[in-house]
Amino acid sequence: MGEALRAAVFAVLQAALLLAAAPLLHGVIKKMKAAFQTRQGPPLLQSYYDIAKLLRKEPIRSETTTWVYAAGPRVYFATAVAATTLVPVFVTAAPLEAVGGILLLVGTLALGRFALASAALDTGSPFGGMGSSREMTIAALAEPALMLGLFASALAAGSLNLGTLVRGLAEQGPSLHPSDLLGFASLFIILIAESGRVPVDNPATHLELTMIHEAMVLEYAGPDLALVEWASALKELLYLTLLADLFAPIGIATTLTPATALIAVTAWSMKVFLFAFGVTLVESTNAKLRLFRVPELVATSLGLGFLALAIRFL
Amino acid sequence: MLIALAIRLFTIVATVAVARRPAICRVVSMGGSILASAITGWLAVRVITSRAVIDGVLARHAASGIVFGYAVTPLSAWFLMVLALIAAPVAVYSIGYFAHAVPASRTATTGVGFNVLLGAVELVFVASDVVTFLFAWELMTLATAALVATDHEERSSRRAAYLYLVMSHVGTGCLVAGFLALASRAGSLSFSVLLTGDTVSGSLRHVLFVLFFVGFGVKAGLIPLHVWLPEAHPAAPSSVSALMSAVLITTGLYGLLRLCAFGLGVPSLDWGLAVMGVGALSAILGVLYALTENDVKRMLAYSTIEHAGIIVLGVGVAMMARASGRGDLAAVAMAASLYHVLNHAAFKGLLFLGAGGMAMGTGTRRIEEFGGLLRRLPWTGFFFLVGALAISGLPPLNGFASEWLLFQALLRGFASIPGLVRLNFPIGGALLALTSALAAACFVRAFGISFLALPRSRAAAEAPESPALMLVPQGYLAALCVGLGLFPGIVLQSLDRVLASLPGVQSPVALAPSSLAMASPRDVTDGVVPLGLAVAIGGGIIVGLLLAARRVSRRVPTWGCGGELTARTEYTATAFSKPLMMMFRAVYRPTREVEAMAEVSPYFPTEVRFRGRIEPTFERYIYTPLALAVLRVAVGLKVLQAGSLHAYLAYVLVLGVLLLIWLGGSI
Repeated sequence: MGEALRAAVFAVLQAALLLAAAPLLHGVIKKMKAAFQTRQGPPLLQSYYDIAKLLRKEPIRSETTTWVYAAGPRVYFATAVAATTLVPVFVTAAPLEAVGGILLLVGTLALGRFALASAALDTGSPFGGMGSSREMTIAALAEPALMLGLFASALAAGSLNLGTLVRGLAEQGPSLHPSDLLGFASLFIILIAESGRVPVDNPATHLELTMIHEAMVLEYAGPDLALVEWASALKELLYLTLLADLFAPIGIATTLTPATALIAVTAWSMKVFLFAFGVTLVESTNAKLRLFRVPELVATSLGLGFLALAIRFL
Repeated sequence: MLIALAIRLFTIVATVAVARRPAICRVVSMGGSILASAITGWLAVRVITSRAVIDGVLARHAASGIVFGYAVTPLSAWFLMVLALIAAPVAVYSIGYFAHAVPASRTATTGVGFNVLLGAVELVFVASDVVTFLFAWELMTLATAALVATDHEERSSRRAAYLYLVMSHVGTGCLVAGFLALASRAGSLSFSVLLTGDTVSGSLRHVLFVLFFVGFGVKAGLIPLHVWLPEAHPAAPSSVSALMSAVLITTGLYGLLRLCAFGLGVPSLDWGLAVMGVGALSAILGVLYALTENDVKRMLAYSTIEHAGIIVLGVGVAMMARASGRGDLAAVAMAASLYHVLNHAAFKGLLFLGAGGMAMGTGTRRIEEFGGLLRRLPWTGFFFLVGALAISGLPPLNGFASEWLLFQALLRGFASIPGLVRLNFPIGGALLALTSALAAACFVRAFGISFLALPRSRAAAEAPESPALMLVPQGYLAALCVGLGLFPGIVLQSLDRVLASLPGVQSPVALAPSSLAMASPRDVTDGVVPLGLAVAIGGGIIVGLLLAARRVSRRVPTWGCGGELTARTEYTATAFSKPLMMMFRAVYRPTREVEAMAEVSPYFPTEVRFRGRIEPTFERYIYTPLALAVLRVAVGLKVLQAGSLHAYLAYVLVLGVLLLIWLGGSI
């Protein structure tokens, strides 16, 4: 029982920390993107202000909606929070690693997507349906590539459990094996697709022809919208952390002392910042792809993942 | 076992006796069915817990000395348990449903068909010799055909029943040929002699494998033998469709396991590969066709093909593992398959019952004519949502549990089977991931378009909720979906006994460390505790509720871009699946016609007609040419069967002479 309690406390702490940090990630990306466009950009903390403002606003919902519409953002938020407890962040152990590994993580995020995509259909607005349909389409295309990429790294460590996996990788140290590079490229593409970044989706647009995620949550307002925005930021942070865990296990703490903790937090922030810079770079230098060109991008990722597997094990 | 069958027989007689009184007739037939299912379930549980095979003799033919017997092995018991778990709630549902959906004059025949079908399926599972098996198999086919043709005024129902009969008999033909070849080699009709695995060898073994694979594949609905399934399932009354998807399909899977995987000796690696290939193909094509289907029951039927494919994919992995002598891997794969058999029965039964309620309330099965049903049918909608989540393989529900195991098996297969052939496993894994993600898209569409937003027709706006007698079984099945997901350990512990009885499969004790958890065997590094995740998500929801705790004070109309928002401006089911249809157009080969009717100028059409369809590839390129060829041969054979008695007498004479010459030569 003591162990379960310790895991629970650890889980709550880590989830709270990531929740607190997630809006900052969006702020940083927006700032960097503005710098690329030689603009001033919003203040770094703007995302926090936005969420705080939205949470205090009057909640308004459409007449046509049912409880599914209200449940959507809450389940989406809850799955993102639950997912943080399955991923090692600062220490080579995930708080709830006994509960499940990579497959559970992917499944949990899929549950959140299912909830939000269903809720989007509830208002009767064609935008909701359009966003829902496109989101599920892209998720369906990304899923096999994601699985293959994760399989490739999982097999290297001999486990699908993220705790075990990261411990194994931290022991081996960072590697520049070609299969790791290919696997990284493959998962980076999927990261962009899953977190709704250019060239797959554009988080800054509100044009009906190009919206995907934004169209899905177009009808949300006030606290509902705050939950969606916050959860999306958390999900993106989670994907970047996962990438850092799998391909750059540097600085992560194997034992918990004040010194290692400090190093781990610094290293994690640096890595996430670096990957965020990569995402911004791709977003700033590419045009958004037509929806029907996305399969080609995802197929590239799938091919890279398969090559990564083949190179390592044949 | 005999008691259960006797109750079914008695029920059939009683049903016929009270055929004039539909209400009593329904209660009698379904009550008897529930009682028999309960006894079957009890028996199955006893066999699984005690590991003792219960067997006995049904009849003895004195002259030839042939014994017709039954034997409840742990594998049969597993399938019997699935049947009992699903058949009982379906029977309760049918008492309410048949009152509305089946004309009074046909209540008795439907009730009889229902009981004959279940009895025959039970007999298929327990038959211990070829004759009993084939008798039960044929009885099952005929009972199903009769149930499919319940609405025989409808041309489509008659066609569906006919197609089902033709396909089934092609399959049965393969089975008869296979069993005869096997029995003549073994010199016995009893399964205990036939299926020891050393009766045949060499190329005959391969031929037999193909015969049995085709024979059972038809019943399991594997692509390309699936064409009957999307026709027959929607044509039958919904509760029968639920039985067909949840129970009838499993007879094919049972046969595949009994014969192809464990009956013909250690399978060769190629068989495993072929089975995996067919499984993956069925899974992916099944879900793709389901995704564009606008008839809710046909959509569910295609999804059945998908899940049969997933189960068979697991069987294929198990066969490859056995061929490579990896009993531990075979155990994981078999556990995944058998677990999925149970899970699929639970959620597909639930969804078909829900679809029945929807069709009964609105009088249509077209998803495009539903919409907003959640307001009118709150309970049906809620249970349908649970089923949709489960079938999409989302944690912590049951679909996730079995797919998790299958992923483990695939990963482990890649790590433990040597050679190039192992590249097959990650491809299988990627296809499985694609399948389950597409299934999620498919069921967001099915649930969202049917139950949410504004009603798209008057029927949908005024649909009544199903009576309690129909809702309670759905609630029970929904609870089963949740329970089987949260307590995977209990399922795996009982599966352990079943797996231990199969040859070449190691007992995977390590799979279930506790009743709440699953873990992969040998180096137990990955495990999953669905309840833990449920608690974590629950915690997250509480946080979300606290953060956004303000009560909704205002409700306003949805913004309609300046125009009026009506059901006609809503996103449709066809539109929802359009992006995927375009991306997979190589599979669908869609065609569409758009006609614009204009009076003044083509830029101001008064009416636009849109017709889109996807090409039925298998029907057009395989079955139509095949049917034409068969007809052509039949026309050719007319010359022989001309109706002239003299010609027939001549045939008999010629045949007699030839036989005499042949036999004389051999003596």
